[in-house]
Amino acid sequence: MVANKMFFNMIFKNIFVRMNKTLIILLSIVVGAAIISSFSSIYFDISVKMSKELRAYGANFFIGKHDINSKDNIYISDYKKALSYIDKEKLVGASPLIYGMVRLDLGNAVLGGIDFKQAKKINPFWQIEGSWINVAFDKNNCMIGKTLAKNMELKVGSKVTVKSLKTNFNKKLTVKGIIDSGQAEDNQIFVNFDFAGEILDTKDTFNFAMLSVMYDGDSINTLAKQINKNVPDLKAKPIRKVSSSEGKILNKIKGLMAIIALMILVITTLCVSTTLISSVAERSREIGLQKAIGAKNSDITKQFLVENAIVTTIGIIIGLIVGYFLAQLMGKAVFGSSIEMRIQVIPITFIISFCASMIAALLPIKKVLQILPANVLRGE
Amino acid sequence: MSDKKNVLKIKNLVKSFGDVKALDNINLEINEGEWVAIMGPSGSGKTTLINILSLMDDISEGEFTLAGDDASSLSEEEKVVFRREKIGLIFQQFHLIPYLSAVENVMLAQYYHSVTDEEEAKKVLTKVGLGHRLEHLPSQLSGGEQQRVCIARALINEPEVLLADEPTGNLDEENEKIVLSIFKDLHKEGKTIILITHNPELGKHADKVLMLKHGKVDKG
Repeated sequence: MVANKMFFNMIFKNIFVRMNKTLIILLSIVVGAAIISSFSSIYFDISVKMSKELRAYGANFFIGKHDINSKDNIYISDYKKALSYIDKEKLVGASPLIYGMVRLDLGNAVLGGIDFKQAKKINPFWQIEGSWINVAFDKNNCMIGKTLAKNMELKVGSKVTVKSLKTNFNKKLTVKGIIDSGQAEDNQIFVNFDFAGEILDTKDTFNFAMLSVMYDGDSINTLAKQINKNVPDLKAKPIRKVSSSEGKILNKIKGLMAIIALMILVITTLCVSTTLISSVAERSREIGLQKAIGAKNSDITKQFLVENAIVTTIGIIIGLIVGYFLAQLMGKAVFGSSIEMRIQVIPITFIISFCASMIAALLPIKKVLQILPANVLRGE
Repeated sequence: MSDKKNVLKIKNLVKSFGDVKALDNINLEINEGEWVAIMGPSGSGKTTLINILSLMDDISEGEFTLAGDDASSLSEEEKVVFRREKIGLIFQQFHLIPYLSAVENVMLAQYYHSVTDEEEAKKVLTKVGLGHRLEHLPSQLSGGEQQRVCIARALINEPEVLLADEPTGNLDEENEKIVLSIFKDLHKEGKTIILITHNPELGKHADKVLMLKHGKVDKG
């Protein structure tokens, strides 16, 4: 106990007496730990953040029939069963679609039945003139694609007669909104899904469904396999173009972050190492004396390691706090939202920073062991 | 023949640095309680000899027995243990840790030896006349006071041999007298003292003087 008091007395006095060098080491560790903690926080949060961001580019998951050319529709009950395999928190939006030909005032057109509330979430990039259809029981309004509206000379508020080719449905609907999607939807007319079932006589069936889900890389493939296994009448698959680019972007960003973190870690290690080497040079006479009066190499090594461990631990604690704020700053700047600090960031930051700092101490300790008391006490 | 215990014995000792013999055929026998002065001009091999005697350097040839043990066969680790158990070192430049107080500097030797005892450290400092300067840092002490802290540090573990390298080399006349009187007291108490010095006054009080010249014993 008394010996420990002397040991720590020496350590703390040494730390304070060489405050400049201590601060350089501390600052290096703070920077290293802050980068590691902020990057690892972002690393763990980036999948969710990126998925949310990329969901703005449309659906990334498809549920349809096995044979795309088959004229048989598939049942909405199967679709609902498939949806039960998707984690609700990861489901951004999902809408079944039913298509069929109808006659409008100036010619035939494709009519689509859709869940507008969900379509709004799946396709946030659609530009709407007028407004969306807000309620699922609306049977008086429709939305129409930009090109079709132009061809049919329709505007927001215009009336258009929709005549079914299969049933005797014939009704004037009001154009509530004009869709500019830049895709096939620009040539189609849309009504509520259930209403479309009445018009097209396809009650409780659908052609396919488009979904926007926050699953990435392998997990989206696993989801597809799970649905295909449990709902054999349906064919579920990720939309490669979107989901694989999500994975690629994520991997690239994660790789880039790992490289930057590694570089900063190397710089931190070098900085700590060179500062410790200069500290050893400054303390060589003191170390020589300690050896002369009976300190073993292991005593001096222990003293150096404990000193370094104390400064490193303080540096890591400050680094974790700075890293938290840095992560929030980067989260706001890049994703426009805060980054969740996960508990595993603390041990990861601690272990990596601590190991780096201890590795940095290896060369200085080698120099300590080479100090010969006779030489330094003679002033060589 | 003395009935006192033999503390140190060197026989036909040679220390070479390459082709150069820094010490050549040195013989010395020191018994318990003896005061031995090793004297000689610069370059005569005094420092090389004290480095060997303090186990901080190895011999090239010959025999070296310290407190009954063959010192030349000790491993580096054993030498450290041997040094802290049996030798008290006093340096010309004091070599105190600048950020530790006088009493802490003395306790440092206790710490590496066994266990620290502040009261004991204070007692030894009082014995060398520094009872009123216990908590002072080396920078707050005069040269003579620093040397006395250094002596207290050497004495704290009650070593078998006190090895002093030019202990008055950096002191003024007044402090030289104080340090000399401490050595006299220690000699009276029966301490074995090996002193390297240029100072004939210190040499005068020794029981035995080993005069070195060009690495050899000067018998002239």
